[in-house]
Parts: sequence; structure tokens; C-alpha cells
Amino acid sequence: MSRVVATVRAGLREYRRTPALLALLVVLPVYVVLLFQYAVPDATVTLHLDEPVRVGIDETIVAVMAPMAAALLAGIAGLFMMRSATAADGRLVLAGVAPWQVVAARFVLLGAVGTVATAVSAATMWPTVQPVQPGWFLAATLLGASTYGLLGVVAGTALNRLAGVYVMLFGPMVDVFLYQNPLAGETPTVARLLPGHYPLAVALDAAFLGGVEPTEFALGVAYLAVVGVLATVAYGRTVG
Amino acid sequence: MSRLGTATAAHVRSFAREPVNLGFLFVLPPVVVEVYGRAMATFPEFPFATAGAGTLGRVAGTLFSTAFVAGLLGLFQVISARRGDERLVLCGLGRTTLLASRLAALVAATLAVAAVSLVVLSLSTAVSAPGVAYAALVGAGLLYGLLGVVVGAVLPRELEGSLVLVFLADADSALSTGIFATDAPLVEFFPLHYPHALFTDAVTTGTVRGGDAAATAAYVLAALAAAFVAYRARGVSG
Repeated sequence: MSRVVATVRAGLREYRRTPALLALLVVLPVYVVLLFQYAVPDATVTLHLDEPVRVGIDETIVAVMAPMAAALLAGIAGLFMMRSATAADGRLVLAGVAPWQVVAARFVLLGAVGTVATAVSAATMWPTVQPVQPGWFLAATLLGASTYGLLGVVAGTALNRLAGVYVMLFGPMVDVFLYQNPLAGETPTVARLLPGHYPLAVALDAAFLGGVEPTEFALGVAYLAVVGVLATVAYGRTVG
Repeated sequence: MSRLGTATAAHVRSFAREPVNLGFLFVLPPVVVEVYGRAMATFPEFPFATAGAGTLGRVAGTLFSTAFVAGLLGLFQVISARRGDERLVLCGLGRTTLLASRLAALVAATLAVAAVSLVVLSLSTAVSAPGVAYAALVGAGLLYGLLGVVVGAVLPRELEGSLVLVFLADADSALSTGIFATDAPLVEFFPLHYPHALFTDAVTTGTVRGGDAAATAAYVLAALAAAFVAYRARGVSG
């Protein structure tokens, strides 16, 4: 276990050494959420959640953009973690650290990035939207960020840098902002298969309704577990 | 062949050597256009829109696929090639010539991806003014390609550069989808605002508003100037 902790510490030190990256982790979610707070007009709309609810369009879009910002950050971080750490992690394995320890340490780091992105996004949206159930909202946002972070790891093994970044740019945008957008009149079948479906469903219920569907959260966790297995296999094969 | 021609040809060959890159240029646009169209078809008809939601989705997807392929190409051309470019400068290739060759390769890729994207769009949507639509797409691609160069010249590493470009691009794209009507003045300053208006009109009505065309051209020129300044100020060694 101490090797996992040491590897995590080394990774955190690496982040600390790159102030530009640390600043971006905070600034980018703030930028996106504030931009949409500013740009979306004042009007009300009926959302088709577990029950119909009338809220402002600005609140709706901001409640969508906060999880999307966290997912984008974590996805890109996962992608580059895979791409940049592979050589160094291979040397760690040669030096005697077990592949599972390296993979575990990297996933903990990814979780830290997702947590920061979730906290910053949620804090920025607070002036506009105070979720009815903040705990569930934070959990759902972190769930989405973690899922996309691990998908970034998978994308990093399967695609080159250019295509990988494009997929992580395009994926959360289409998934969260278009397919899961509660302003849409219907939810197509394909939307239910996408990584953002369960996290956003729970996040929106938590933001605007008095209750959430624990089953939806559990399905989101199951989705995360499947992606986690894929990412573990992909990463493990690269460093092992 | 001149030094500029040689360097440009080398950049294009280097890009085309990777099959994934070619797939990126020619396979992703159809996917993006179709996915955008299907996703936005689930939205109710927008009262302020000039076309159906599905058509607007395909229009937004076409613009997205062109602009952001070019943006990422611009970014990675500058960030990842720093060391190689430094050696070229040491060998006597001028920095302006080097940047011009990178931009020429970027223009070639933009022309190609804009053509592919427009052909894909025209398979499902009648394009009223194809020439103007193509020009608008090329304008959007060049604009984002040059922004990619600026970001790549300013930020030190791929991760930071990618994050900035992705957040700029996704916010810009989300604002220009037309899912909500906004009259916020700041939105007009976003890079895709005028190309999107120009492209949407060219596809749906065939009209061209001179102000949109002029603003798109002005943005491209401003981005070109910014790219030269940022690239030269930074130096290829970063």
C-alpha cells in the first residue's frame, strides 16, 4: 500500500509543479459555468424529469454545464495521464512496483482531479442553482467525471493524441449537452446507453426535485465499474 | 522547390503518414454531422429558428467537425513540433517561413475537412448556397486552426493546450447550437458566432449578410496576426 501512496504523492507533486495546469483546473469550470449563467436568457421551461417541473432556462443550462465541465476536465486528464505516464509507469514496474499498484495510484490521481473539478463546478453554479439535494448532486457530478476520466484512459490507449482529444471534446458535449439535455422533448434510446445518462439524470433530479432514483445512481455506478474494468485492463497491459 | 514548399510538403507527409489522422479527417465528419443531427432532432422546434431542429443540428455538427479538427491540428502542429522546429531554425529555415509552412499545411487540411463535411451535410440537407457555405466552413476552420496555433504557442504542454481549446470550443459550439436564443452582447465575440450565422443562412436560405462575412474575415485576419505574434514571441524552443 505504501507504494501506491508514494506513487500518488509523486503524481500530486507533479501536478503541483505545473501551476498552469492547476490554474486551469479551477479556471476552466468557472469560465464555462459563469459564461452560461450570463448568456442564457431569463425564461421558464417545463423539464421532463421524473416528474414535470417548471424552472428557469438559465438554471437548467447551468445545472447541465456544471457536470459537463467536470466530465470534460476529467476526460482530458484521463487521456493525457494515459499518454504521458505510460513510459514512466513502465519504469516503475521494472523497479518493482506491481502493475496493479501503478494503476491504482493513477486512478486515485484521476479521482482527485474529478473531485476538484466537481467541487469547483458546483461552487460556481451555487449562486444560480442551489440543488434541493446537494449531496446527491455532488455525487452524481463526481460519478460523471469519474466515468469520463476512465473513458479518457481507454481513449488514450486506443487512439492517437489528436483523435483522443477530439473524442473527449466531442463526447461529453454531445452526450451531456445534447442527448441528456432536459430541454429536449424526448430521450432517444441511444441516450440511455451513453456515459452521461445516469449521472445527469440523478444530478438534475437532485437539483430540482425532492427525491432521486437510487436505482439510477446504482446503474451509473455499474456503468462506472464496467468502464473501470476496461480502463484497468487497457492501462495494466500498457505498463505491465 | 522553395523552402516553404518543401517544409509544407514535409508537414503534410508527416500528417498523412498516420492512417488514424486520415481517418480523423475523413471518417469523423460524417459521424459528427449525423450525431449532432439526431441529437438535436429530439428538441422541440425553436420558435426563433429558420429551420427544423434536426437540420440546425446537422448545420452545427458540420461547423463543429470542420472548426475543431482544424483547431486541434493547429494546436498540435505548434506544441508537439517545437523541438523539430528548433532544429529546422538552427539549420537556417526562417521562423516566418516555418510558421508559414505550418499554416499552409493547416489550410490544406481545412480545405479538405470542410469539403468532406459539406458533402456529408448535403447528403441529408439541401444546401441553398454551396459556395458560400464552403467559404463559411473554411473561415471557421481557419479561425480555429489559428486559435490552436496561438494556444499552442502560449501554453507549454499538450495537456494545458488541449484543455483550453476544448473548453473554448465546447462553450462556443454549445452557444451556437441555437438551443436557446441569447441576446447577450458578449456571445457575439465568440469565434464561431459569425461563421455560424453565415453558414446557417447559406444552408437554409441562401442569403449572405455582408456583416457576417466581413466579421468572419476580420476574425480570421486578427487570428492570423495573433498567431504570428504569439509564435514569434515565444520562439520555437518554447
